[in-house]
Amino acid sequence: MSAGGSGGAKTAYPPNTIMAIGAVGGLAGIYLGHFMPPAYSFFGGLGAICAIVWGADAVRRVASYGLGTGVPSIGMIALGMGIIAALFGLSVGGIAGPIVSFIVAGIIGAIIGILANKVIGMGIPIMERAMVEIAGAGTLAIIGLSVVIAGTFNYADVVQNVVANGYIALIFIIGGMGILHPFNANLGPDETQDRTLMLAVEKAAIAVVITGFASSLHEGLMAAGLNILVGLIIWAFAFMKYYELVKRDAYSVVGTGLLPSAEELQ
Amino acid sequence: MIEGLMANILPMVFIVIGGVLISWSVHFVPVGGAPAAMAQATGIGTGTVQLAAGAGLTGLVSAGFMMNVTTNLPLILSSGAVGAMIMMSVTMIVGSWVYAYGVGCVPASAKVKVDPITKYRQDIYVSQGTEGHGLPTVCFVSGVIGAALGGIGGALVYYALIEVGISAGLSAGAAASVTGNELVGIAAMFAIGIFFVNAVIPSYNIGGTIEGFHDPKWKKWPKAVISSFIATIFCAIVAVIAILQLGGI
Repeated sequence: MSAGGSGGAKTAYPPNTIMAIGAVGGLAGIYLGHFMPPAYSFFGGLGAICAIVWGADAVRRVASYGLGTGVPSIGMIALGMGIIAALFGLSVGGIAGPIVSFIVAGIIGAIIGILANKVIGMGIPIMERAMVEIAGAGTLAIIGLSVVIAGTFNYADVVQNVVANGYIALIFIIGGMGILHPFNANLGPDETQDRTLMLAVEKAAIAVVITGFASSLHEGLMAAGLNILVGLIIWAFAFMKYYELVKRDAYSVVGTGLLPSAEELQ
Repeated sequence: MIEGLMANILPMVFIVIGGVLISWSVHFVPVGGAPAAMAQATGIGTGTVQLAAGAGLTGLVSAGFMMNVTTNLPLILSSGAVGAMIMMSVTMIVGSWVYAYGVGCVPASAKVKVDPITKYRQDIYVSQGTEGHGLPTVCFVSGVIGAALGGIGGALVYYALIEVGISAGLSAGAAASVTGNELVGIAAMFAIGIFFVNAVIPSYNIGGTIEGFHDPKWKKWPKAVISSFIATIFCAIVAVIAILQLGGI
């Protein structure tokens, strides 16, 4: 069940540009969501979207080599590493929490990447770098979506409003879906980067909508409504754009009409 | 921070042992992936991570349930093991029904000529062009062993994290409200994070399908266990510090 081909993926946007968008955009969104009044917690969601797009691109690059196992596994390890790094960073970092999480995620990712290549012997040249990127993206996605729900990344608030009531499990799955699903859904010989990344935006927007619903518990209906609205607008835009890209990449799109009725067949 | 880590050295050892057990357990579970879903390989038709996560999380839930009534470690571990074993057995028996009565093929593996447990010959039953199909007896037994190890591993990690929290002055008992038990939430999330890390590392080691302990790939387990051992040490340090910080709030 190897996924993808064997070799590097064709890219239109270079990895470093996407990495910059994901890391800078993710951190900026998280800090804006933290410092602005609760009604603006959707900035955390925007940060999470940047991070999820970055994660999806990193998954795309590493999974193009063929992992020997499913693409979903790499998305799940992203969130596994991400949740450990995110909670640790917020617990010790104070105001620098997201940055500490980000650095710790990089360290855990590097360790696992080196182990995968050196001990297990996967032999993927970009494995170490990709693992660092995936762990960082998973961490920022988790913190960003937590900011949407809690309105802040303060450890005590995140633990009380996101972890203790179980919303963190929700974030875990929808964040993971955003990172692992785009490449898994688009992989094949005709996979293109812009289409995969647009699907990542669309999935991330769904994550913002869902966390927006969850935020009504602590931030009130006004803030929750704004979160959901922002998520829905981005989702509608990304979905239309994705559909356009699917039509562009398809050989041809034809309407087949409905199945003929019994009379028409005679 | 360092004193906190030194004071909790035993729970950290438990976490690392748990991580290693999870990593080892994955090698026992018969995973067929997409080919198995199309009855072209033996095993359960999904990925390693999903199965290991399913077994581990069931183990975690059943261990957590037992921790409501007792702090006896052997009881908690066996509860976790039994929960995971039930989950995996049910998955495999229903999978076998689907193969036998839905797809219409007998459980047989092309990798070994004779089933190591029943000694039945199976190569004559393998459909042409496939690597086998269904879940032969040895796969089933191997999967149950794997689930037990995974359940014990998951329960051990969760128990250790709860112990760290209790030593930091937090309470883990049944809370008055449904929501609001910080320690249980955070310990469960760290256990799940450690579980996923340790379920993915061996799945890269296996690379695709594995039939259980009679599969040639099974001999590769030390590599994954060493990798998991190193990775879990870091995860354990990070998790213990985060929980100790929770006690300081």
